Amino acid sequence: MSQMGSFKRLVEVGRVVLITRGSDAGKIATIVDIVDHNRAIVDGPTTSVARQQISFKDVVLTDLVVKRLPRDVSAKVLAKYLEKQQVVEAWQKTAWAKKLEARKRRANMTDFDRFKLMRLRKQQRSVVDRQVALLKKERA
Amino acid sequence: MAKSTHKNQLAPGISRLSRSAVFSKRAAYKLPKRTPAAPAETAPATEYKPYIKNDLIDALTPQAAKLSNTVVTTPKAVHKAQRTPKLRSSITPGTVLILLAGRFRGRRVVFLKQLKSGMLLVTGPYKLNGVPLRRVNQAYVIATTTKVDVSGTNVSDITDEYFKRESQPKLKGTEAEFFGEQAQKKEHPAQKIADQKKVDQAIVAAVAKVPFLASYLASSFSLSKGEAPHKLKF
Amino acid sequence: MPDGLATNLHEYQVIGRRLPTEQEPTPKLFRMRIFAPNEIVAKSRYWYFLSKLHKAKRANGEIVSVNEIFEKNPTKVKNFGIWLRYDSRSGTHNMYKEYRETTRAAAVEACYQDMAARHRARFSSVQIIRVATVKSADVRRPYIQQLLQPKLKFPLPHRVQRPAKKADRALIIAQRPSTFY
Repeated sequence: MSQMGSFKRLVEVGRVVLITRGSDAGKIATIVDIVDHNRAIVDGPTTSVARQQISFKDVVLTDLVVKRLPRDVSAKVLAKYLEKQQVVEAWQKTAWAKKLEARKRRANMTDFDRFKLMRLRKQQRSVVDRQVALLKKERA
Repeated sequence: MAKSTHKNQLAPGISRLSRSAVFSKRAAYKLPKRTPAAPAETAPATEYKPYIKNDLIDALTPQAAKLSNTVVTTPKAVHKAQRTPKLRSSITPGTVLILLAGRFRGRRVVFLKQLKSGMLLVTGPYKLNGVPLRRVNQAYVIATTTKVDVSGTNVSDITDEYFKRESQPKLKGTEAEFFGEQAQKKEHPAQKIADQKKVDQAIVAAVAKVPFLASYLASSFSLSKGEAPHKLKF
Repeated sequence: MPDGLATNLHEYQVIGRRLPTEQEPTPKLFRMRIFAPNEIVAKSRYWYFLSKLHKAKRANGEIVSVNEIFEKNPTKVKNFGIWLRYDSRSGTHNMYKEYRETTRAAAVEACYQDMAARHRARFSSVQIIRVATVKSADVRRPYIQQLLQPKLKFPLPHRVQRPAKKADRALIIAQRPSTFY
């Protein structure tokens, strides 16, 4: 559609969304039907999101789209489409998903884990900084 | 943490007022001391002179004050059994605790057992971070999920009595006390040094088996920018 | 259902009758489907409507049963046509409106909101006559028709990022938020 201009992510059947609020926050789901300008029906049979009506305020559109998905398909059929097109895997490969995963992992670190991380980063720094200093010397 | 239902407690076990604040609030300075060996009749019936203007003192007439100076209060017989307070479920022998108050605040120590008084028996171990065998209140610690193997130590002989102070001859109020004459540097008893070594031995050995654990216990805890203790996992 | 999408209205089936008398030991039962926030209001509305239609009132009648009617398929989007009657400041009007919702109760709820917004008509001055699902081909209103095209696509022009919990909201931020989608 030409009038969409520079918008890259559109609300459409098959659009994969990330839920940002509520009990499903952090999970991805797929738009299976559009209610109106503010709401859609989403479903996530492979990401444990129950079929529900959701406001666009509570989701973020992602770049992913389930291709050729008919309107209002059942959860079973949607699961087949998701599996065939490897949508969840594609999502997990994105930098966005990795960042969310890293954030979650960091939040779940224990005190000892944080200490070990600090020590390991120190070790890394000492090696890298030394090499950088050597290279700088060579260049100069 | 759940909000305390007591208005004079910030959290279970933590009083809103300090000991000295409670003392002045109760106006305990007006009450005769309970413990002195001197019986009541020897207490001089001094004339009552209020030195602070305050409603409470105004309410006490000189007569009443005089009376209160001569009354002997005997402690009430306690019928309740003193039970050991419940230990937080997150604290088990070997748990690494972060101390939050006192001389060793910020230190990470190893929990050994709960004493009968409810206090927690902890050790640094002394060799790693300088914290000796010590009693701490569980309200002033953060329990971490990190555990140290303490199965090799035996602390059954360490009780609350172990931490009792030796009584010292009283010098209070004398010149000798004021000028520090006859002041002797207290020696740490050799028995306690030996006990510390005996308890720590197996713990230090267990700690050495886990990478980074020794330096973790040696380091002290602090919050950095953007960290909120209630949002952290320990 | 996330906050803000739950409906306040429910659909009730209320059945009542006049009190039995010697002349009429088994009075006729009257059944009504009523949209109301709770059972109490539903029963009240039942007598209100029944007294307009028949010679019956609460004082000499009884409610036989009240039960809620739940949507059979509450995750399927349907087009609802609502026929209603409302009292404006100058007279009484009949109306037909369309809504796109997942349940009958949600459609009626949207209708009451719509009547209050566009016509300043309160709950008490609106009477729902009929609620029915409408086939896509039979949809009359353009504001619903535009949502029925088979390959519907539209952008969300303004992205406001909100934290999952209100407590996590930053009060001061160094940069103006980017609203680009």
